[in-house]
Amino acid sequence: MGLKGYLHDIWEAVATTAKGMRITARYGVDPRETITLQYPEERWEPSERFRGFLHNDIKRCTSCTMCVKVCPVDCISLESVRGADKKLVLASYDINIGRCMYCGLCVEVCPPKSLTHTSGYEKATVTRGELILHFVPEDAEEIKARVAKQVAEAAAKAEAEKSAKAEAPPMGWPAPVFAAGNPGAGADAEKKPAQEPKGEPANREEPPKEGGEKAE
Amino acid sequence: MMESLAVSLVNAVPALSGVPLWTMTLLVMVVVAAVVLTFALLYAGLATYVERKVAGDIQARIGPNRVGPLGLLQFLADGIKLLLKEDIIPAKADRFLFALAPYLVFIGSFAAFVVVPFGVGLIASDLNIGVYYVMAISSLVVVGVMLAGWSSNNKWALLGGMRAAAQIVSYEVPVGMALLPAVLIAGSLSLQDIVRSQGGLLGIFGWNLFHNPFTFVSFFLYYTAALAETNRTPFDIPEAESELVSGYHVEYSGIRFAFFFLAEYGDMFVVSALATACFLGGWHVPFLDAEALPVAWGNLFSLGVFLAKALGLVLLMMWIRWTLPRLRVDQLMRMSWKYLVPITFFNLLGVSLWLLVFHGKGIPRMIASLFG
Repeated sequence: MGLKGYLHDIWEAVATTAKGMRITARYGVDPRETITLQYPEERWEPSERFRGFLHNDIKRCTSCTMCVKVCPVDCISLESVRGADKKLVLASYDINIGRCMYCGLCVEVCPPKSLTHTSGYEKATVTRGELILHFVPEDAEEIKARVAKQVAEAAAKAEAEKSAKAEAPPMGWPAPVFAAGNPGAGADAEKKPAQEPKGEPANREEPPKEGGEKAE
Repeated sequence: MMESLAVSLVNAVPALSGVPLWTMTLLVMVVVAAVVLTFALLYAGLATYVERKVAGDIQARIGPNRVGPLGLLQFLADGIKLLLKEDIIPAKADRFLFALAPYLVFIGSFAAFVVVPFGVGLIASDLNIGVYYVMAISSLVVVGVMLAGWSSNNKWALLGGMRAAAQIVSYEVPVGMALLPAVLIAGSLSLQDIVRSQGGLLGIFGWNLFHNPFTFVSFFLYYTAALAETNRTPFDIPEAESELVSGYHVEYSGIRFAFFFLAEYGDMFVVSALATACFLGGWHVPFLDAEALPVAWGNLFSLGVFLAKALGLVLLMMWIRWTLPRLRVDQLMRMSWKYLVPITFFNLLGVSLWLLVFHGKGIPRMIASLFG
């Protein structure tokens, strides 16, 4: 390295430093260069297709358990009972949002389109249990008891009608319970196969079975 | 100076006439030391805030803005946090040296404030070996840093300490050589004398910076070398967080870590103050003769001007830190021994010849004498 190279090195050091400092000075002085969003006060507008927290519109939900079956991480749990009008009544619908990975499969698969992604993304809790979202406000046991009572009344009524019509054995409508999903242990969701109550001879004296196995 | 202050205090307040002079002198010394230390700590706290703000601005962020108006009280929050943190000493550390190291670093950095000429009469002690004292006492930092690196019993800390020793020892040479032109011009090592030698000529053109081309270069050489001596980016290889985690203070926590942190900012100010005093006219107020003003006003003006210059240089350091990438170890050594040292020697020779040939006159004074 001759003297020329030596001086060139010095010149380059000075020139490149000056160039870099001009750039940082521009960023430092120009207030428009600040791109920070003051988060709690200001927020980005989430995209329309943003997958936020899940929300189930329980009025439209048919308890079909499609979401439970498709969920790759088993974060949805669902309990339902067969009502007097043969439709399934939702007893409880819980989503463990702390386990959810926001893949959106449940929303895609939902036949009545009752399950949707909201734009919500802010949830901080003290315990993990608070991360389980409950969509049915009433207690599951109460709903089951009420539905069972209705079913029993309907059965009694039908029996009365039937016995009045003909001397046939009375018909009972057992209310099978569907339990699916398991946010706690991820156990088999389909322990209880859906028993389709057909017009069986009413040799079953026991009351409709109460309560699905809600393992938690 | 302390004694004269004590004498004037005794003369002013008759009730104190019974107190022996040495007691009064000691009292005055303690008060002055407390004032200087308070200033230093307040400055260091605010400098951390400014540093973070500058970093934020340069990186298109905002920086601290939550604690107090504009985040100004952030440094208090940080200080309280550091005070309350657990003081951890590693199990296999050398406990005595580990505890000693932060104090050495802190003392080395803050003892230099003693000779900083803040104003016409505002200097804790105008030592006749001022420049030499600063260089000597700031070398104490090396000992502290090396002790910290050694006693932590941590490979990163040891590497950082060794690097710091190599770096600071290397850069002591150009720092001293770059300061010598100012000493030559003033003919004294006392910082007040050096500042006084730069008066007149509208208060700006008397600066050593404009004395001759060699002193002009000398200022930048000093500033670069001093930047390396304070272990700041782009010369922060002793800390180099991407390779050495955080170097020699990796095992320190709580208030011991705060000592290292404060020492770094204290160092920055001392270096800037020395550059101001030796090259930028020190406390000389432009277009005014601060020494001819009434004592109170003269001191106030000169203090303001000195702080503005010195803190401006500190700001420049922060600006450089957030601009340049870190040098490699070999690049750092090459820069010192192959570039800074030869050039500073050349400069010293140039200044000496200039003073010999032109009888100590600088370019501005020659131009001024042309016009009478």
